[in-house]
Amino acid sequence: MAEEFIKFENVSFRYENAEDEPELPLALKNVNLTVNKGELVAVLGHNGSGKSTLAKLTNAILVPESGKVSVMGMDTSDENLKYDIRRKVGMVFQNPDNQIVATIVEDDVAFGPENLGVHPDEIRKRVDESLRAVEMYEMRLAEPHNLSGGQKQRVAIAGILAMQTDGIVFDEPTAMLDPRGRQAVMDTILKINKEQGKTVMFITHFMDEAVQADRVVVINNGEIMTDGTPKEVFSDVDKLRKVGLDVPQARELQCRLEQNGIKLNGNILFEDECIKAIKELF
Amino acid sequence: MIKDITIGQYYKSDSVLHRCDPRTKLVLTIAFIVVIFICKNFYAIGLMALLTIVSMLISSVPVKMFFKSMKPIFPLVLLTAILNVFYTTGGNVLVSFWKITITDKAVFTALFIALRIFCLIIISSLLTYTTTPTVLTDGIEKLLKPLDFILKPFNFRVHTLAMMMTLALRFIPTLIEEIDKIMNAQKARGADLESGGIMQRAKALIPIIIPLFVSSFRRAYELAFAMDCRCYTGGDGRTRMKKMKFSLSDLWVFLVFIIVCAGIIFLNIKFVAVI
Amino acid sequence: MNVLSVKGLTHVYGQGTSSEAVALNNCSFDIEKGELVAIIGHTGSGKSTLIQHFNGLLKPSKGQILLNGKDINENKQTVVESRFKVGLCFQYPEYQLFEETVRRDIAFGPKNMKLSEEEINRRVLKCIEYVGLDESYLEKSPFDLSGGEKRRVAIAGVMAMEPEILVLDEPTAGLDPQGRDTVFELIKEYRRKTGSTVIIVSHSMEDVARLATKALVMNKGEVAMYGTIDEVYSRADELVTMGLNVPQITRIFMELKKAGLPINGNIYTVEQGVEEIIRLQKEGYSL
Repeated sequence: MAEEFIKFENVSFRYENAEDEPELPLALKNVNLTVNKGELVAVLGHNGSGKSTLAKLTNAILVPESGKVSVMGMDTSDENLKYDIRRKVGMVFQNPDNQIVATIVEDDVAFGPENLGVHPDEIRKRVDESLRAVEMYEMRLAEPHNLSGGQKQRVAIAGILAMQTDGIVFDEPTAMLDPRGRQAVMDTILKINKEQGKTVMFITHFMDEAVQADRVVVINNGEIMTDGTPKEVFSDVDKLRKVGLDVPQARELQCRLEQNGIKLNGNILFEDECIKAIKELF
Repeated sequence: MIKDITIGQYYKSDSVLHRCDPRTKLVLTIAFIVVIFICKNFYAIGLMALLTIVSMLISSVPVKMFFKSMKPIFPLVLLTAILNVFYTTGGNVLVSFWKITITDKAVFTALFIALRIFCLIIISSLLTYTTTPTVLTDGIEKLLKPLDFILKPFNFRVHTLAMMMTLALRFIPTLIEEIDKIMNAQKARGADLESGGIMQRAKALIPIIIPLFVSSFRRAYELAFAMDCRCYTGGDGRTRMKKMKFSLSDLWVFLVFIIVCAGIIFLNIKFVAVI
Repeated sequence: MNVLSVKGLTHVYGQGTSSEAVALNNCSFDIEKGELVAIIGHTGSGKSTLIQHFNGLLKPSKGQILLNGKDINENKQTVVESRFKVGLCFQYPEYQLFEETVRRDIAFGPKNMKLSEEEINRRVLKCIEYVGLDESYLEKSPFDLSGGEKRRVAIAGVMAMEPEILVLDEPTAGLDPQGRDTVFELIKEYRRKTGSTVIIVSHSMEDVARLATKALVMNKGEVAMYGTIDEVYSRADELVTMGLNVPQITRIFMELKKAGLPINGNIYTVEQGVEEIIRLQKEGYSL
């Protein structure tokens, strides 16, 4: 039986309007979503779809207007539980610069555990382990402003790992990075889920990242549109296109060929599957 | 390239002074300033100058770096010396012309003050050359910690101040880079930042300053969230990974300083005061 | 006719200091009027340094930049002129917005050109249309717009200088697929309406394939390849070794070719792939 980690029950949320302006529309409408322990979930949606709001509700940065968000049974709207929840769910943000606090890499990684009052020797151990996990140990004495975007983002991840949270929510961690940085960060995310068993939820608008997850949740206009394995979610090309999302080219090729009366076998998502299916044609 | 900027003027090395606890260095720098003002004659200040030179040499910071830091202060020292030469009265007259008389006491005083200022500059530069800004901030936080007693009723802590300093140090390079980017973007739209009078130049800065403010506010807002998510609730209940520890180096440095102090007191009593 | 010629361009940062770094090494190429050239290369390949030479923001350590045959660095006047003739739009251009209204922000460039009030007005109206926003936006504060809208206003601000060459550094960075498509569409439209030369810097090979007429590949500060999209993509293997990602569809067809299928030319869009498979089916080819 899978253990529930984050649970959204009929959650609606609305941002506060400015004083002399009309009420804003709901950013999230009646969202029901359960993320189980150990899962790797991608939340896919275009800008303004409500996906970042969803992320911010998971660790009490925002609290729902109606409905309930709970982390391991703890209600996020209970102000007293705020920091207990944040010990369970860490968050990595989009802009790599605006989440690094210290002037030296290792001091930044130590920031979280220091706030938790962990013993200095234990902090040292955790900092070294975390930096090794994100492959930034060699750079531990570097100054953050001399790092690339991808490196800074990995330092930010190490900072959460050192807090030893059970799960990490990533709010568009790769949106501001170049392809190499994106790759390195994605590899790190996959690794901490597979090797360290941490529950991961990441927000993205890149479909090539979403296909690497175990489960994809597509969000549009504040509502969950589809929820399933990457294969299931990407099978409906038109539906995704309509909400402004990309599909893998391999999948698109299959679709277009089908419209021309040529059928490729299987539910294609990756290159090798596509190559195999085309070979079968000839 | 603009990326190469370093904050402060730390010179990387591994001397006794580099290894010292920042608190030792802070306290001794302040003590040095006090002691140099109680020196009354050339023997005493000579001993302080000797201490300065020895410290400079064992710091393994190149001497020319000290000259660099003294350069901007030099005209000021010269001016003070000249004023002293002309306005100090008493002692034996050396030269006298028109309305001006210069006495030997005036020359001594001028020399004495110049020497004092040079020692002060060297010793305080030594503090920043051998200590990184981060460590220095931590040292200040620890030293000022007792002040929390006074600040508490005002809902303010020494830790808050230290955190602000750390964040400033962290973001200065980021903001400098950002200014560079914004300047280039506006120049690409034909902004002229280099010509015109003061008013015109000040006006030309608006396209730079407004985007910089907007982005700084955004950064501050996001950073606050990020810190909150990492369970930052202020200084209470926090531990530190790096513990500050007094080592053998600190002991040595303290001992040397105490001996020098004793020497100063002896020399002050033994010889005639010139100032 | 060549609108821009780069001749033996070398740029060294911090020349004569201990941190000397060669960012560009002896780059030479010509760009013809009306082309849409994509400059490709990963971070640190020298792309950004290169484009900042086009309007005189950086001075060459060696070599020349010729705009319509004239050296832009000849004197102060020619440098200033090049700022307006080559409109350079940096990455995340929305961070340069500063005026109270969109209208005044778009007018910033033309104002610096000391144009008449009417001419400025004409350009503002034209450029807001180029970027697909209507006139109601002109009186809004740029800070109240959405991310994608801000981006488009900033691009309009550069277009308003009516440059002969429009240079865009990663115009779609940080945008979602919809935002990206909108920006690409407006660049296409702008080019169709004005016939201007456009240079875009990108590291997405998919986008380049869809948009550009020519591609220039930078690697380690040197021009590694320069040619039509077809010429450049035919060397996909080399692109991979330079750390660039060729489109998934190209990789699929490269593999199929290796497996013995007689694929014609290079496939870099899904449409081409569909046509190629249909052709092979019609010919009744079998492995």
